[in-house]
Amino acid sequence: MKLLAKEKVLWLIPLIIVLLLWEFMAGFVIKNPLMLPRFSAVIFSIYTLREVLISDILVSLLHFGIGLVLAFSVALPLAIAMGWFKSVFKAIDPIIEILRPIPPLAWIPIAIIWFHLTHYAAGFIIFIGAFFPILIDSYTGFRDVPKVLVETGKVLGCTGDKKLIKYVAIPHALPSIATGTRVGMGVGWMCVVAAEMFGVSESGLGYRLFQKFYYLHQMDYVVAYMFILGLAALCLDRLFRHFVENKLLRWKKGIVK
Amino acid sequence: MKRRSAIIVIGIVIAVIVIGIVVYFAVKPAKMTTINIGYQPSTHQIAAMLASEKGWWEKDLAKFGIEKVKMKEFPSGPPEMHAMLAGDLDVAYVGVSPPIAAMYEGLDAKIVAGVQTQGSAIVIRPELADEYKGPLSLKGKSIATFPPGSIQHTVLSKWLLDNGIDLKKDVDIKAMGPSDAATAIGAKTVDVVFLPSPTPTIIVEEGNGVIVEWSRSMWPDHACCCLTASGKMIREHPEMLKQIIKTHIRSTEYEIKHPEEAAEIYAKWQNADVSTIKRSVKITDMHWIHDPHVEVESGLEYAKVIYELSRQRYEGKGIKVLKKEDIFDTSFYDEATGKR
Repeated sequence: MKLLAKEKVLWLIPLIIVLLLWEFMAGFVIKNPLMLPRFSAVIFSIYTLREVLISDILVSLLHFGIGLVLAFSVALPLAIAMGWFKSVFKAIDPIIEILRPIPPLAWIPIAIIWFHLTHYAAGFIIFIGAFFPILIDSYTGFRDVPKVLVETGKVLGCTGDKKLIKYVAIPHALPSIATGTRVGMGVGWMCVVAAEMFGVSESGLGYRLFQKFYYLHQMDYVVAYMFILGLAALCLDRLFRHFVENKLLRWKKGIVK
Repeated sequence: MKRRSAIIVIGIVIAVIVIGIVVYFAVKPAKMTTINIGYQPSTHQIAAMLASEKGWWEKDLAKFGIEKVKMKEFPSGPPEMHAMLAGDLDVAYVGVSPPIAAMYEGLDAKIVAGVQTQGSAIVIRPELADEYKGPLSLKGKSIATFPPGSIQHTVLSKWLLDNGIDLKKDVDIKAMGPSDAATAIGAKTVDVVFLPSPTPTIIVEEGNGVIVEWSRSMWPDHACCCLTASGKMIREHPEMLKQIIKTHIRSTEYEIKHPEEAAEIYAKWQNADVSTIKRSVKITDMHWIHDPHVEVESGLEYAKVIYELSRQRYEGKGIKVLKKEDIFDTSFYDEATGKR
């Protein structure tokens, strides 16, 4: 019982050490809030900014939601096609590999022209960030379906690609899809600041961080919003893991540990 | 056990030596052999590029032991001032607003010379240009300009307010950088942009807009760019700073006399179209200057505007509106020009 409680609070000790170190370094070593504001000052800033914080989080979540839903909807069918049909993979892979290294920031002019200064333009930048991890991990999952499973499926009556994909490939690829989505969510959330840099809205974590606080060198506010960005990402990740890993992929538990 | 103790002792000795060396070099001021000058890719700040192109920085500063002059380009004022905050810039060509905003947050620096006044323009989409009769024509329009606290945002807001336009109800002001704004007007996602040279001319040359107003008519002689020196430079190298101002004056007077050559130097540095830059320099209402006194009045006005943007924050920290002596140090300029 004691051991269980110990494990549950294991994450707390390093976190407290890091925060105390931060407070100490900022307050007694660096002593310049422009270089590194104290943790306590950052917490106070979050309290000071509470009036705009909620609307900023909601707007950023809207941008994130647009980008992620779009990325998942486009990447998954494409991943199935690329992973299952070699000819599709050979045809599309070079295009993917040309587009994949282009940083989301470089897409801003395209976003402005295609989607105008709307929430969809911000969503598009997040889509660029989230799309490729989802695609690559998912198609790897489909590509690596063991032949023995395919043959077994056929023996059990899965004739034709449609049935094989539905009853063999998708269940096998689910963990890879989940991993890709999780990585894609992380990269997509990283793009929130870039997505809100060019006048798409008058709220949003990235907008306020970059266009307001940074412009006026209000570093405690900047770090406060960075902290919020990190916390929001942590919450999104925990939620995802709770629903996907603990519910949808519960059958996986016990395979390794 | 003995071996373990020996290892610990040796470790402590090494740590003490390393810390000693670090402290020694951190405390002992190294002789300054490199100077870092910040600037932005704008025709407003050609003086910085021109003096570098002619080799004047190196030549004039060699007598102070300067062996290398590093010209560091920044896309806008905030990152430039952040570099100065971090101690990476000794002097900076920058808009008047960014250093003031940074000074409210503790930047140890002063504006020591003027660089130019005016030089921004309102550009409207070609199909809307005929409708334009003055500021009231902008009602209901979307306008892209720099973020709140910038010179452009301040000049535009003041002008619209003076002409009875409600900034929240009558217009939609969108904050963005010059490249994004130029793309936005080209894509017809905004109706109007208000930007510094040479972007207005570039937009016109691309057929995406018509210049309908220069900033002179919005706020005559408003300050735009300035030369800012770090506090360290002011305190530790006053004579060198005086020379930097002298070189800046020389460069400014040269560009005023030879605007075509100045435009060519800018085009070379920025890989821009020479004819567009020459045209921009020719048609702009910008005045290259070097006297910081010219920029004091509007600089103080910007200081008030920036204060209002974050009044609650500054009042909470006991910060008051910056005064002339907090922002400007004209003594080096006065001495360099023999005015004092």
